[in-house]
Amino acid sequence: MNLDFTPEQVAFRAEIRGWLSANVPSEPLITLECEEGFHQHVEWERKLASGNWGMVTWPEAVGGRGLDLIEWLIFEEEYWSAGAPLRVNQNGIFLLGPTIMEFGTDEQKKRFLTPMAAGEVIWAQAWSEPGAGSDMAAITTTAVRDGDHYVINGQKTWSSRASFGDWGFGLFRTEEGSKRHKGLSFILFDLETPGVTRRPIRQLHGDPGFAELFFDDVRVPVENLIHEEGKGWNVAMATAGFERGLMLRSPGRFQAVARRLVDLFRKHEADASLSAREAVTKAWMDTQAYAYNTYSVAAKIMAGGSIGAEASLNKIFWSELDQSMNRTAMHLLGAAAELRKFAGGSQNDWLEGYIFSLSGPIYAGSNEVQRNITAERLLGLPRVGAG
Amino acid sequence: MEFLIAPERLELAEAVRDFLSGTHGPEVLRRLDAEGNRDPAIWQSLVEMGLTGLVISEDHGGMGLGLLDAVLVARECGRACLAEPLVEAAFVRAPWLMAQGNEDALEAIVKGEDKATPAHTINGWQTDGSGEALESIDPLRNLTALPVDASDDPHLLNLGAIMASAQLVGAGEAMLEQAIEYSKIREQFGQPIGGFQAIKHKLANVAVALEFARPVLLRAAQALDNGIDSASLHVSHAKLSATDAAYLSAESAIQVHGAMGYTYEVDLHFWMKRVWALAGAWGGRGFHQRRVDEAIIGGSHPIGPEHTFA
Repeated sequence: MNLDFTPEQVAFRAEIRGWLSANVPSEPLITLECEEGFHQHVEWERKLASGNWGMVTWPEAVGGRGLDLIEWLIFEEEYWSAGAPLRVNQNGIFLLGPTIMEFGTDEQKKRFLTPMAAGEVIWAQAWSEPGAGSDMAAITTTAVRDGDHYVINGQKTWSSRASFGDWGFGLFRTEEGSKRHKGLSFILFDLETPGVTRRPIRQLHGDPGFAELFFDDVRVPVENLIHEEGKGWNVAMATAGFERGLMLRSPGRFQAVARRLVDLFRKHEADASLSAREAVTKAWMDTQAYAYNTYSVAAKIMAGGSIGAEASLNKIFWSELDQSMNRTAMHLLGAAAELRKFAGGSQNDWLEGYIFSLSGPIYAGSNEVQRNITAERLLGLPRVGAG
Repeated sequence: MEFLIAPERLELAEAVRDFLSGTHGPEVLRRLDAEGNRDPAIWQSLVEMGLTGLVISEDHGGMGLGLLDAVLVARECGRACLAEPLVEAAFVRAPWLMAQGNEDALEAIVKGEDKATPAHTINGWQTDGSGEALESIDPLRNLTALPVDASDDPHLLNLGAIMASAQLVGAGEAMLEQAIEYSKIREQFGQPIGGFQAIKHKLANVAVALEFARPVLLRAAQALDNGIDSASLHVSHAKLSATDAAYLSAESAIQVHGAMGYTYEVDLHFWMKRVWALAGAWGGRGFHQRRVDEAIIGGSHPIGPEHTFA
């Protein structure tokens, strides 16, 4: 138990802080859920890559810096503290990237990781289907082998970044007649392939954040298969582990929200309820608890351990914490909460934040599913009924 | 930077856990409740394990370990619902005396001859003192009237609060385990009740609360052990999160047990009562909430992503 940063870690923090203060846009970008904002965020990814900051934990050979998880956490702390933009390529760098690192061939690593870290290819995910949401094993979209191609037919939905992104990854049924977790394969595809139709779905804030994807005899080369045919469920579960676990939501993101919330409270203290006051202090406490826990998980992984079903505890905690903080802000704003822009023209980030926080307990595996996983795999309660 | 308890550092706590689970089970709690709640033989066994001298230097016959080690053992005392005043005598009073440079009593504490407990004005009572007896809902706690010379030292309060937090976490873990075991054997509607999502989700919530109380406890112990300026804030954070997790565990466990949980026959109540006691001891929610409020909303403590370990 040593909670002091080394001189090298302190120096690294100073380096990223310096780069961010010189490069983070002074004006906030437009939301990445619309076309113009999406492209602004892609530009930002490329700027990050120009400083070699795209994905610091990756090997230098694919555009990373070969740093460890503590340095990644330091990077994230400084990133969110500086108010830097959301990562438009998070599906790629946080989910698919680690999956390719674990399951991909050397050829696939070269082909996909380098442009991912460089912000040249933005990735969408294609998990859910109209009939396969929380019950992801109910997937029916097929990928039938035809020579050196798969021919994909079916439909995906709620595909984040698919409206404006470049490539997608997801699970497809490659074995005819297979059921549930069996016979699925993890396949990457170019969203511009003939036969792919994207239909952006308007989200409740009005912008098209995610999309439906229709596949009509879409031919995808077999070298886009990750790991073995029929082993897609295992690969997907590993991806979901990265997502719910360490990578997708680093603590710095929420600690920055907690700090903004404390500032907001001070402005509105005279009108604030007692429960809001307690919620604000709890925001600091819970974001700190999440940070300590993340540093603890990072230390375990660095000591040779791994993160398993504990990832579900994390996902429940951060998603409900985020919602609670943004809800508290809505209450503090009172009559101003409904304004999309405040008098004076600045965007109501709390409203946007609250709307987005409502999706947290749903995406990346709903919190109901996470609670089932927690109960069955961590606490050992019996599995009854569908699985 | 390494937020990790080294495996060898966990060995003592694991040995204490094994020892107490073998010698201080529910049947012992029931015997103590029925026949008198202090047992010199149990106390002697704790002395022989060296636990009374855990934080006391080897010069005085102790083990010379730190508050973090004491916290890990205190958590096991909470898990076992230990009756003897080990935590208050050896993990709160002893380090407090040492912090004052008062070494007179240390050897007697190590030997188990001096088992005096500290008295602090934040509590309206003392445990195992010599004043007039007060009755606690916890049948294994012996409360006595607060002596007139009780201390108001904030360091003593912090030591008491961090050790209460550790016991709360341990008690919360014990009650979760009891609820899990019961939910696996109790059948209704033709299946173990633990197969119902209503039960799963209730217990998953307890698991989440405990998961995120544990690192706060360790951070606070480390802060207190190293005497950093913000230690009081971290201790208060630990007391709040441990209290909330333990209360949630207690209320969830009784609900999972149904009417059985409301009986004396099921063991759960011993731990539940300990939680009610420790949640209010060494500063209740109000006290610790105010300390966090003053630091965070008051602005004396730096906050934000780059201040994780401030």
